Amino acid sequence: MITSGIVETDTAEEFIEEIEKSKDALPEKIDANPKTVEKGLAKLVLTLIELIRKLLEKQAMRRVEAGSLSDEQIENVGETLMKLENKMEELKGIFGLEDEELNLNLGPLGDLM
Amino acid sequence: MKLYLYGIIDSSNQTEESIYGLEGSGVYNIPYCDIGAVVSEISQPIQEVTAGSVLEHETVVEKLMANFTVLPVRFQTIIDGRDNLLSIMQSYYRDFKDNLERVSNKFEFGIKVIWSADKMKENIIKALNKEQQKKLEPASSSGKKFMKEKFEKYKIDKEFEAKADKLIKVMDIFFSKFAAEKKLTKLKTENLLLDAVYLVEKPQESNFREVFEHIKSARSDFKYLFSGPWPAYNFVVLSKKSSLLREPEQTNLFDKVTQSQTLVGVDII
Repeated sequence: MITSGIVETDTAEEFIEEIEKSKDALPEKIDANPKTVEKGLAKLVLTLIELIRKLLEKQAMRRVEAGSLSDEQIENVGETLMKLENKMEELKGIFGLEDEELNLNLGPLGDLM
Repeated sequence: MKLYLYGIIDSSNQTEESIYGLEGSGVYNIPYCDIGAVVSEISQPIQEVTAGSVLEHETVVEKLMANFTVLPVRFQTIIDGRDNLLSIMQSYYRDFKDNLERVSNKFEFGIKVIWSADKMKENIIKALNKEQQKKLEPASSSGKKFMKEKFEKYKIDKEFEAKADKLIKVMDIFFSKFAAEKKLTKLKTENLLLDAVYLVEKPQESNFREVFEHIKSARSDFKYLFSGPWPAYNFVVLSKKSSLLREPEQTNLFDKVTQSQTLVGVDII
C-alpha cells in the first residue's frame, strides 16, 4: 500500500509565498520584558481599540447601505470615524506598530480580526 | 530516559519491520491496553528544528500508517520516561480510542487554491462602476468624503467575500461527496482563496483525486496544490483536559489544550 504523502503543484513558489504571508499575519505573543513592556501593552490596547473601530465602521457602512442614515448623520459619523482613524495612525506611529501587528490569536477560535 | 513520541496507534503489538527515528534510534511501541504509543529514545531535547528532523519524524509516521491507524503527535513531543507516558495514555485512553475509531481507514488530503485577488477586485470594481451608485451624494464635506471612500471599499470587499464564498461552496460540494470530514479556511491571505483539509476513506481516494482533477481543469485560471495522503493531522480532537499539563517535562504534546478541545496533529504543509 502506498502511504507516502506527496505534494503536487505547478506553482510551488507562489504557495510558499502565500503560506509565509499567512504566517506573518499571525501575531506574536505580547512581549512583556522590561524593555518593551510599554510597546507590548500598547499593542494589546490598540488591538482592542482597532477591533471596536472596525466594528463601528462596518456598522456604519451597513446603515449607509440600508439607507437609514440622514445626510447629517452621515456627515457626523464620517467625521467621527475619520478622526478615530487618524488618531489610531498617530498612536501606531508613536509605538512603532504596523497594521498587521494589531491582532490576537484566540487559539481554537482563530484570529481576533 | 526521555522518549520521543511519534504517534498513538491502534495496536499493542510491536511493529513488524525495523523502523529508525530521530538520532537513528530504534522505534518501538509501548502498549497500553489495546493501543500503543510509538516512541524512540532521545538523549537531549531537539535544539533546532531542521527539515531533516521533521522529515525523519514524518517518515516514521508514514511507515506506521502502512500497517496501523495512527494519531500523529506534534513534532518535538518528548516525554520524560515510560511512567509519565503511561500516565498520559491512561488519562487519554478513551479519547485516543474514540479518535482511532473515527480516523480508522481514512487519510487526510490537503487542498490549497490560489486566485488572483487583484484581478478579481478589478472585475468587481468594473461591475460596480456600471451600476448606479446613488447611495451617497457627491462628497461635499470631509466627513462625507471619508464615508464615500469607505463605502466604496466596503462594497468591493463585500463582493470579494461573496465571490470567494460562492466558489468555495461549489468546490466543496464536489470534494465533500467523497470526504467523511473537512476543515475549510477561506482567504487566509487575499490570494489564498481556499486552504482545506479533507478526511477521506481509503477506498474513496481515487474518486477524490478525480474530483480534484475535474475542478482543476474547470477553473484553469486558478492555481492548485494537492497533498496527501497524510495521517489525520487535522482531525484529532481530544475533549479531556490533562492534569499533567503543568508539568514541564510533557513538552509540546498538548500545548494547545483548551477546556473544549485539543488538536494533537500538526500542520506539515
